[in-house]
Amino acid sequence: MPQIELHNLQFAYPEKSFNLNVEQHLFSDSMTAIVGQNGAGKSTIFKLLTGLLKQDAGRITIDGVVLNDFKPSERLKKIGITFQNPDDQLFNATVKREVEWSLSQVNSDKDQNAARAVEVLKKVGLADKSDENPYDLSLSERKLLTIATVLAVDPEIYLFDEPMMSLDWPSKRMVTDIFRELSATGHQVITITHDMDWVAEEFHSVTVMEHGEIKFSGTPRDLFGDRELLQRVGLLPPKIMELAEMLGDSKTYLSPQDYQNQNIVQ
Amino acid sequence: MDEDKRIVLENLNVRYSGMETSQLKNININTPIGQIIGIVGNSHSGKSTLCRVLAGIIPKIISATISGTYTIAGRSPMDDWTAFNTSTGVVLQNPAGQLSGLADTVADELAFDLINQGTSADVISKRVANVAAQMGLTDQLRQKPESLSGGQMQRLAIATAIITQPQILIMDDPTSEMDPVGRQQFFHWLTTVKDTTVFIVSSEIDDLCEVADSIWIMSEGELVSQGSPQDVFNHLSPEWQIPTPTVYQMAEKMNWRLTGDVFPVAAEELKEAFDATN
Repeated sequence: MPQIELHNLQFAYPEKSFNLNVEQHLFSDSMTAIVGQNGAGKSTIFKLLTGLLKQDAGRITIDGVVLNDFKPSERLKKIGITFQNPDDQLFNATVKREVEWSLSQVNSDKDQNAARAVEVLKKVGLADKSDENPYDLSLSERKLLTIATVLAVDPEIYLFDEPMMSLDWPSKRMVTDIFRELSATGHQVITITHDMDWVAEEFHSVTVMEHGEIKFSGTPRDLFGDRELLQRVGLLPPKIMELAEMLGDSKTYLSPQDYQNQNIVQ
Repeated sequence: MDEDKRIVLENLNVRYSGMETSQLKNININTPIGQIIGIVGNSHSGKSTLCRVLAGIIPKIISATISGTYTIAGRSPMDDWTAFNTSTGVVLQNPAGQLSGLADTVADELAFDLINQGTSADVISKRVANVAAQMGLTDQLRQKPESLSGGQMQRLAIATAIITQPQILIMDDPTSEMDPVGRQQFFHWLTTVKDTTVFIVSSEIDDLCEVADSIWIMSEGELVSQGSPQDVFNHLSPEWQIPTPTVYQMAEKMNWRLTGDVFPVAAEELKEAFDATN
C-alpha cells in the first residue's frame, strides 16, 4: 500500500481569503473519505496531490519520493483523479477514444490500449456506449466514464472528488463494489464526499477538513462518536444515529446492520 | 369528480423525435392537487421526461410525439400555454442553465420574472428579500449569479421559481449539489410550502418519505407504483432497483412493525412501531 505524506504544506489562492495549512498528515489506509463543508479545502488537497496546483511551501511525498520529482508518466501511474465535474476532463470525440487517450499517456501499444478500454468500459456499464460522443451521455454516465479513464491506467492511488454525485442507486452500488475491489488489491482510494451514510458504512478512515486545515483523522466510529466535533465542523451524523437518538439512544451506530448487531443479543 | 382539483394524466405516451422507443409509456394518474409528490426512479426511467411534461415544456418548448391527455386543476399546457406557464415554477437539473444570463446580481436575477410581469418596484423588493431569506441567499444578493457555488446556484434556481408564487412547483433533483446541511434546510423548507402542488424528483429517499404525501415510482418509462410513502416502500419490486428508506431498514432489522403488518418509512412512524414493540 502506497503512503502519502504531507509536510508543512501551505497554499493560498491569489485574490481569495483561503489558506491551506497542513503541518503533518499521512494517508496510509486503503479507503479514506475526506469530508468537510464547501470551501474547506478538500478539492485543493486533491489538486496539490496531482500537481495541478503547486504548493507555496512544504512538500508531498509518495513512498518517500517527493511528488514533484516524478516524471509526468510515472506520476500518472502513481496517482489518478476524477474531478467533481466530469466536463473538466472529457474532450475526446468518442467514449472509447476518451479511455484510449488516457491510456496513451502511459502506454504506446495501441492494441493493448484498445483491449483495455473495452474491458474497463464493460466494468462501469458503458460498453454499449463506446462509440458515442461523451457529451451525448447523461451526467451520471459521464461521471462513470471519468472513473473508467482512471481505472484503465490503474494507478496505485485513486482520488475521487464526489464520485457518487448524480449517480442512481444501481450505479452507486457498482462504484462501491469497484472501490472495495481496489481497496482489497493493494490500492489506496481517497474520496471526497458529503454522503455520511456512505462514509459510515464503507470507509475505514476519515479525514475532516475545515478552513484549510485537517481537524480530525481516524475511524468513522470515532468521528461520529464525537458530537461536539461534528457540530463544530458543521457535519451531520449518519441517518441511523439521528433515528436512534429520536428513540432515546445516543450511542454511535454506523448502519442499520450495526444497530441490529449492537441491540440484539445473539 | 371535480376536475378543478385533480391532476389527471390519461394514457400518456411520449417519444422524442428520432428515438425508437417511448420515454413515457401509458402513464395514468388521477390524484388531488395541493400535495407534495415525490418522483423516484433510476437513470433512463423517464422521470425527467415526466417533469418536462408536467411543466408543459414538452411539447411546448421541446418537441416530441405525445399522445393521451394531461390536465392539472382543469388546465392543460396545450389549451392556454401563457396561463399554464404563469401558474408553474420549474427547477431543472442544470440550475446554471436556467438563469437569465442578463442579471448582474442575484437580486436582479430574482426580480427578472417579476419585472417582466409588470410588478411594482415596492412589491418586487419585498418579494426578493422574502425568497432570498427563505433560500438562505440574503448575504449573496449583491453577488454575481455566476460566482455562486453549485448548491447556492440550486437555491437561486428554486428562489426564481417560487418568486412568482406559482400554484404548481416542479423540481428535478433540486438538491443534487447541496451539502447535507443545505439539503436538510431545503426539505424542511418544503414542509412549510402551503397551497401548492409540488412535484419533486429526488434520490433522497429518506427525505422524501418525511415530506411527501405521495410517491410515484418510475421504471423504464412506466409508472410502476404510486401511493403513500408507507404503501409504496412496503411493496417495492426488486426489478425496479430502488432502495428502501433507512427507517424501513432499521425497523426491518429489529422487526418493529406497525398495525397492518407493515414497516414504518418515516421518523414518526418509526417511533410508533418502536413504542408498540418495546
